Amino acid sequence: MAVAPAREQALPLLAAANNHGDLAVKISSLKQAKDILLSVEPSHAADLYPFLLELQFSPETLVRKYLIEVIDEIGEKTMEHLSVFLPVLLTFLKDNNPKVSKQSIITGTKFFYRSMEELAFQFQRHGIVERWLEELWTWMIKFKDTVLDIIFEVGTVGPKLLAIKFMEKYVLHFTFDSNDPGNIPEVMSRPGSEFNISWIIDGHTIVDPSVFVKDASRYLGILLDMLRSASNFLGSLTISVINSLAAIARKRPVYYNSILTTLLELDVNREMGKGRHTVSIQFSLRTAYLGFLRCTHPVIVESREMLLKALRGMNAGEAADQVLRQMDKLMKNNERASRDLRLNKDDQLPNQSHGAGDVTKKRLAPMENNDQNNCVDVSSKRIRYDPRNSTAAANAIINDAGKDPVNGMPPKPAVIDDNLSPVEQMVAMISALIAEGERGVNSLEILISNIHPDLLSDIVIMNMKHLPKTPPPLSSQSSNDTSSDPSQISPSNGLVTSLPTLGPSEGPACLSSTISLPFSDMPTSSNLCTDSKRDPRRDPRRLDPRRVMVPVDVTPLSHVEDNVNSFHHHVAQSDLDVPSSSCPPSVIPQSSSESISIAVVPKVETISNPSETPAVSEANLSVLKDEVTGMEAKEFTMKEEIINASHLLPSSTSEVDDTLRGASLDFAPPDGIYSPSSQDTDQLLPHISNVETSEIASTLLPVFPQYIELAEEQQREVKKVALERIINLYPSLERMDSKHTQMALVARLFAQTDVHDVIGMVQKHIVSDYERQKGHELVMHILYHLHSLVISDPGSSAAIVYEKFLLGLAKYLIANLPASDKSFSRLLGEVPSIPDSVLRLLEDLCTESHSEVNGHDGDHVTQGLGAVWSLILVRQPYRQACLDIALKCAVHSKDDVRAKAIRLVANKLYAISYISGNIEQFATKMFLASVDERADMRISKSAAVPENQMGEQVESQNTSISGSQVSESGSSQNDTIKGSKDQFPNDSSISFSQAQSHVSLFFALCSKKPSLLQLVFDNYAQSPKAVKQAVHRHVPILLRAFESPYSELLHIISNPPRGSEDLLTQVIHILSEGKTPSPDLVAIVKHLYETTLKDATILIPMLSAFSRDEVLPIFPRLVHLPMDAFQTALAHILQITDACSACFEQRTVFTQQVLSNALNQMVDRTPLPLLFMRTVIQAIDAFPTLVYAVLSILMKSVVVDDARFFESLSTGYFTRFSQVTSVLDKYVSACFLTLIL
Amino acid sequence: MKLRYAMVCSSNQNRSMEAHAQLKREGFDVASYGTGQHVKLPGPSLREPNVYDFGTPYKHMLDDLRRKDPELYRRNGILPMLKRNVGVKSAPQRWQENAPDGVFDVVLTFEEKVFEMVVEDLHNRNHVLMKLVLVINLEVKDNHEEAATGGRLALQLCQEFEMTENWEDSVDEIIINFERQNNRKLLYTLSYY
Repeated sequence: MAVAPAREQALPLLAAANNHGDLAVKISSLKQAKDILLSVEPSHAADLYPFLLELQFSPETLVRKYLIEVIDEIGEKTMEHLSVFLPVLLTFLKDNNPKVSKQSIITGTKFFYRSMEELAFQFQRHGIVERWLEELWTWMIKFKDTVLDIIFEVGTVGPKLLAIKFMEKYVLHFTFDSNDPGNIPEVMSRPGSEFNISWIIDGHTIVDPSVFVKDASRYLGILLDMLRSASNFLGSLTISVINSLAAIARKRPVYYNSILTTLLELDVNREMGKGRHTVSIQFSLRTAYLGFLRCTHPVIVESREMLLKALRGMNAGEAADQVLRQMDKLMKNNERASRDLRLNKDDQLPNQSHGAGDVTKKRLAPMENNDQNNCVDVSSKRIRYDPRNSTAAANAIINDAGKDPVNGMPPKPAVIDDNLSPVEQMVAMISALIAEGERGVNSLEILISNIHPDLLSDIVIMNMKHLPKTPPPLSSQSSNDTSSDPSQISPSNGLVTSLPTLGPSEGPACLSSTISLPFSDMPTSSNLCTDSKRDPRRDPRRLDPRRVMVPVDVTPLSHVEDNVNSFHHHVAQSDLDVPSSSCPPSVIPQSSSESISIAVVPKVETISNPSETPAVSEANLSVLKDEVTGMEAKEFTMKEEIINASHLLPSSTSEVDDTLRGASLDFAPPDGIYSPSSQDTDQLLPHISNVETSEIASTLLPVFPQYIELAEEQQREVKKVALERIINLYPSLERMDSKHTQMALVARLFAQTDVHDVIGMVQKHIVSDYERQKGHELVMHILYHLHSLVISDPGSSAAIVYEKFLLGLAKYLIANLPASDKSFSRLLGEVPSIPDSVLRLLEDLCTESHSEVNGHDGDHVTQGLGAVWSLILVRQPYRQACLDIALKCAVHSKDDVRAKAIRLVANKLYAISYISGNIEQFATKMFLASVDERADMRISKSAAVPENQMGEQVESQNTSISGSQVSESGSSQNDTIKGSKDQFPNDSSISFSQAQSHVSLFFALCSKKPSLLQLVFDNYAQSPKAVKQAVHRHVPILLRAFESPYSELLHIISNPPRGSEDLLTQVIHILSEGKTPSPDLVAIVKHLYETTLKDATILIPMLSAFSRDEVLPIFPRLVHLPMDAFQTALAHILQITDACSACFEQRTVFTQQVLSNALNQMVDRTPLPLLFMRTVIQAIDAFPTLVYAVLSILMKSVVVDDARFFESLSTGYFTRFSQVTSVLDKYVSACFLTLIL
Repeated sequence: MKLRYAMVCSSNQNRSMEAHAQLKREGFDVASYGTGQHVKLPGPSLREPNVYDFGTPYKHMLDDLRRKDPELYRRNGILPMLKRNVGVKSAPQRWQENAPDGVFDVVLTFEEKVFEMVVEDLHNRNHVLMKLVLVINLEVKDNHEEAATGGRLALQLCQEFEMTENWEDSVDEIIINFERQNNRKLLYTLSYY
């Protein structure tokens, strides 16, 4: 719409909306004006905004309300000019009419989050924020504060209810959502995803996340305060507050305890005065509690008893039990489903939650979208949780690098507890149970027995990794009261002491493996593994960050664990001292993690000592205390540089430190987190049982020395022994879950142990158990674990270990299992990646060049090709490599290999559309190469004249040979070829086999696609004789294999290229072999004979289909053919002889008597049957005693005075008796033939 | 009429439809829903209910039951009920699938279980619009007589809300008064769209 007319139209409408007496006219005018405003360019429309804004003074509520809606719609279109409207929006917040006020809250809230998103986005993209947005944001801050004021101002409830909702949203948006990937562009492109603070990159010029986080805490405090003083508020407000708090608690479990405490404190009956519908308030509480019961976050699960008590107190025990029953059922179903999934290795469900039995992984259907944090799809939760952990861990390192422990206690990062990984959650739960002392023992046992083996093994491994860095004085080992000494406690927590004792490669290693998790979740990692089906990202097991973290030193983990505890302690201590527990520390790492991950990983590679074994933990234990501090400092300096350069990290890490330092310093260190799992470790690994016990364990259990320092060699030995023991236990274990635990343990231990030590041992056990398929599963565990290490740190030696292990195992399987066993194929089909060496092994296997193979090689070829086939089908990244192997085999010199490979390629692979092109191309190339060989050969032989001459000789011979072949049936061809081979063993035999191997594949494809034969015809003329031989050998097989109407073939025949006559003749022969040629074929051949090819030879196969009139004109030409060709022609003409011959062979049926009678009858017929005389002769041949009977017949027939008959008869008679049939002159025969016809 | 109402029971047949019919008759902006998995109507015995999917037209059910056993279904009031329903709207609708129907100001349920389901469903929706919704439960037994009474009560309650300028301010008062006047227990909560 043109600007000027728009303005002209809009202005009167706006005036009407403002001044008209009728409300309906006002509204309708405003609507029309709105349409106009929205239809023109925002920049042009902006001129009209002042007129629109005049409507704010309209006395009509509806007009004012509608004005906000217009502003809302304008904002939808563009935010650039919104600042003009914001003063109005703020004014309307306090409008007398709650409808207007409510609408302005709704619209303002929308603008608030949209401008927040835009702020995050612009800064992330361009590093700056546009001025209009800056201005808008200033207004939005004012809006936020004004909305908050609404709650406490005297006024109607409606706007207050919305203000409460605004606060709820605010808290949710500005506390970390552990489900949010924090990747702004991705998030923004995902409609429906809500803004989260994690989108805000630290160092943002406009937005200081910490301020918002603090505000969020403050708002939560306000909501809690409202609840505490609920008696001052209306019932609807209280209900709204309860609902909002319940939603926050479910979605942000970090606040759960303080919220629950406040909710439980609310005594509805006592505090609620008159005028409030207490039943409804109580019901809101009940709904909240039931909602909590449905959550599985460990923190919430912990409070179940409390919830049940509260629910029973409000007569909702039954409902609570019902929810619990539902939960149990869901858990069981989930467990069963995930177990099935695990067993089936269903790749269709890449995000399957494989953690059966893991309490933290249960999905709660009823809570669907709402409580994603705790109740929804667990696998995604797991995946997303952990990157945060790593972030947190990284952050912890950052912080700790710059500050000292306070009072020997680890300074803790504050609230990042909602980012707990399942392992840490379990550790937290276990520690909570231990804290209960005797009472917790039973629950602890139940819990541990129900923990999923995977998780349990992680916990165990985690504890193993807690091997202390600084040994206590040896004298204290037997001392009972060491645990009470704080300086002894802290080492067991693995936090403080681990820092000063970092090994040289530890810091970087921690970063690389922890931080690279989000990295590996990003598309950039796709080049690591392009296999979409096998993409490690799609297998939760593979990229389970816990696995990656495991081999790393435990420092980051212990930070997180400490956070768990800090959280517990904190929440227990303070009702809502939220500011102190606010999230700034987690804000910064959140957004910075990616940048670190990208930037630091390469550095890690360069820094970490390449000679280290993959087990980084070993490096941790080889303590080089003095170097550490400097090393660390260096690391973080570098990191800061990177961060600043990439605009992604806070420029002020020190700020973070300050915030952190201010937070949670007053918390006691975590107590005995590891004791229960270290018991597990003890059971499984007795050799290291006394390595570590935490102080709580030492109070509850018999006292062990706190730890023993082991030399590197000892550690290695311990690991080896541990692995060996676990593996040895393996076959004897009955319980499936125990086996799972074992597998997980073995996989991790394997990755940490020197591969040379244990590879043989593991292989042996794996193969011994392979039959029961458990070996396979174990292998997969190990391989995927190794693969995840490779992905997280491409430079690590895990890649070598992986390759070595897989190669060794593959060889072992080939050598030790029968070739019919599918394990080898399955292994390659399911491993995360296939190194080149394994592909080479596969190729060797297919081509029988694998030296270690025992038994029948042929079977192994089949086995290898079977594996190749399945890999082509299911492993896209290896498709080309495997196809190459198959094709190589298809032109292999060994007949057996070639035949099998050709069967695979032509029958199976050629049918697959996406590779058929490649196959055809390759086969064509090979065929043409063999055709061109002659040229090559000539070039190569031009220097050696005698050989060249011999070659020509061969060729001339060959021409005549193939000429004679034409007239022979297929069987005689071979003889001919053999003969030719014998004649020229030096050259032709070699080239024939070569030719054979080169063209076989092509002919196999021709059988699937007859049109390819055109190429054969086209190139036949210039083909070397060996190729021609090969072609002639293949053509009969090929043509006989044709089932369908060979229209394409006929098309080729109808227009044969020059020089392909021999081939053409053979084809025509075969096509008409043993049957009456089709009319099409006859027509084509006739046409050929009449036009291009004057050679009567091609007509021979057609003769049987020719009528007498047709044969006669060409007969003279036939007669001029060589003897054998002529005989063949005769045979074709006289095909009835074959029938007669067959009869004479049936001597029991066609006895002498029968023949005699038959001949008698025949002779009576007029005219005499065709070939009567021949039959007579054959009869005499069969039964010589028939001579007299025949004579009498002949005598009788003389009576029939037919000269022609008599002539033929007597000639036949004569020939028989003169025994000269075989040497009958052809001219005589021709005469007879003419006569007979 | 200022507010938009939804009447919700389990099968969107009896109680919600009775209320729907009455409110509609009075000119209210009203819709009705069921929260069950299926629409269930009594059959020849307790164990043989007639089960239909939501969305099956009342007319179809009417014809179906007439064909099956007209006497039985006339006697137990199902046919008259279906006839009434046909006059109100075409087919039963499911609450959980009503997002396209827009937002309501007041949702009235007739059974605590249904109330819970509605509340849970509303909690699980994305509260993008920030539009307040009041959900009230009025316990009504699932028979024709009670449904008729329940319908009247529902109408009365809605009229109360319609009369107030800002229901948020007076919801407690309205509820308490209503309970006292009618000797009925109500439950309410607030949610958002």
